[in-house]
Amino acid sequence: MSEDPQIRASKIVETYQPVAAHIVQATKLTDTEILLELRLGNGQSLGHGAGQFVQISMFGVGEAPISVCSSPTQTETFELCVRAAGNVTKALHRLEAGDWVGIRGPYGHGFPVEEMVGKDILIIAGGIGLPPLRPLINLVLENREQYGRLIIVYGARSPQDLLFTDELNLWATCDDVEFHLIVEEPDDKWQGPVGVVTVPLRKIDIEPAKTLVAAAVGPPVMYRFVAFELLQKGLPEDNIYFSLERRMKCGVGKCGHCQLNNLYVCVDGPIFCYSDLQGLEEAVEAWAPPTAEAGGKRREPGKGHG
Amino acid sequence: MSICVVEHDELHALVQRLIQQGPAMGPRERQQQPGFYYFDWLNSADELVLDYVTTTLPPKKAFFPPREPFLEFSRTDPAKVRSMTDEGPFVLLGVHPCDLAAIEQLDIAYSDNIADGRYLANRARTTAIIGVDCWPDEYCLCTSVGTEQARGSADLFLTPIQRGYLVEVRTPRGQELLGDSAQLPATDQDEADTAQFRREKQRRVTAKFATGVEQFADILAAGGLTEVWQEVADRCYSCGSCSLVCPTCFCFDINDDINLDLTTGARIRTWDSCQLPDFALVAGGHNFRGERWERVRHRWHRKFLYLYTQYGRPFCTGCGRCSRACTADINLVEVSNDLIAYAQRETQNV
Repeated sequence: MSEDPQIRASKIVETYQPVAAHIVQATKLTDTEILLELRLGNGQSLGHGAGQFVQISMFGVGEAPISVCSSPTQTETFELCVRAAGNVTKALHRLEAGDWVGIRGPYGHGFPVEEMVGKDILIIAGGIGLPPLRPLINLVLENREQYGRLIIVYGARSPQDLLFTDELNLWATCDDVEFHLIVEEPDDKWQGPVGVVTVPLRKIDIEPAKTLVAAAVGPPVMYRFVAFELLQKGLPEDNIYFSLERRMKCGVGKCGHCQLNNLYVCVDGPIFCYSDLQGLEEAVEAWAPPTAEAGGKRREPGKGHG
Repeated sequence: MSICVVEHDELHALVQRLIQQGPAMGPRERQQQPGFYYFDWLNSADELVLDYVTTTLPPKKAFFPPREPFLEFSRTDPAKVRSMTDEGPFVLLGVHPCDLAAIEQLDIAYSDNIADGRYLANRARTTAIIGVDCWPDEYCLCTSVGTEQARGSADLFLTPIQRGYLVEVRTPRGQELLGDSAQLPATDQDEADTAQFRREKQRRVTAKFATGVEQFADILAAGGLTEVWQEVADRCYSCGSCSLVCPTCFCFDINDDINLDLTTGARIRTWDSCQLPDFALVAGGHNFRGERWERVRHRWHRKFLYLYTQYGRPFCTGCGRCSRACTADINLVEVSNDLIAYAQRETQNV
């Protein structure tokens, strides 16, 4: 449907103008993470896809790019899980229900959800990597019959750092979810395995050709180890999707901050197919150390750029 | 397009008329620093200098200001947010071919995919552009990037000749600008003057790439040049001057400025540089281009590889400003030729 030219023109001029959104609920998940449920003031749905992000504004402090962590099918409100890391995110931690913020977006290229139908889905989340993957998990759970196995591997630093604990319990008890939880620094009460996500990952048997992987892990260097394990399992590079982190300022491929070689994480990502990252030196955090299958392949410059 | 000749006095009168009709920006000489030129609002045609070498900053600042407040806000609940509109239309005078090419490149980059409305709205305020041909200096490298004859979106383009200027009327708007000015037919002598000017211009460009831009992009894409990047990085101070003066650099940062009342403020877009150490820093302290040589390489890759591949032209228009401004005397052409020579040596050794 064509849009009124005047509306389109005003939208274009306001590329960087946020719309008001109010906090429906603010829930402290851990000492460093807060879950914000928001509703747009204009009554519209955010209309995001799994893996997309928004720019959230605290006027007077600034903007921060945050992945939407609620399911795309949840349309009245949406959720952002924010780790207190910088000025803006620390200010976001002071928000309470009823407060207002600015939102623009959604931005970026999300997961290829249609391609994932009928496949086994392997989700690998490390720490604050879980929120960008949560929309995908929820989408699969909501349409469970459309997918094969759902395997979730989630690693956190300590039991206190675990996010969405209610949902973790649900996944753990759900018959059709294979859930692997691991922490690096256990406390006295911890009964589960100890280590990083690659430990349970190594033990999981998969059928490489019919499995699609979505991974978001931190710190950046963890991607390399995850990629290594996946390639060891014989997963085709085209079946691996990584959610990468950069500090996007504009969200529309202009400001240059999130540039990764010839790609902009904000428009070409943040969800990237592993095969599209091959040969990109600045995606080095994502590369598996060379193996027989994945050694030193160079990608044509400019290829795949939208 | 038509061609005519406008004599010196007539052009002076034309410029004076444009200034009177509305704001006009053009190159002026710095009173405190003779020999240095800058684009600024003109009060009279006498201030306009048309035979300048190059301005310190490119004319992009007319529609992409170094610091641009674009939203006003009041931290009420919900916040009151108002888009800040800029002043009215203006004309841009005395723009060199390299800078005309640069404006065209910014237009392309900012319109691509999700358009940058702020830029386009500002750009639309430029209701006319008059270009002028120039004498290059030892830093100019326009012939290596193919911009020496660029006209971009100029409505009129002037080439200096004996009795005034040979004027290329490139758009209906250009014809409108000329208005009642006496437009003389170009004589054989005028044509000869023009040809002579262009030959002399070509001759004066001494800084040249050792390969064409396509081959240069291939060399950069092939990589293996870390040694050269590191050598350049050893001299670079990461001060960002090169980006600051570049007519095609379009990266920016967005920050909030809050007023002393702690309630009202503005959101501001400022020029940024990929050469500054924290440009690719993310939460958690990881810096995706933390090493200086990676930032130096990124600058060349962006200009001559990524944007070249994306838009089919290098995002360098050969103005030479980065080399002139560099606090460490790093010269764009010298480094590029070092890279080319290194790559050619490596190929021979294989």
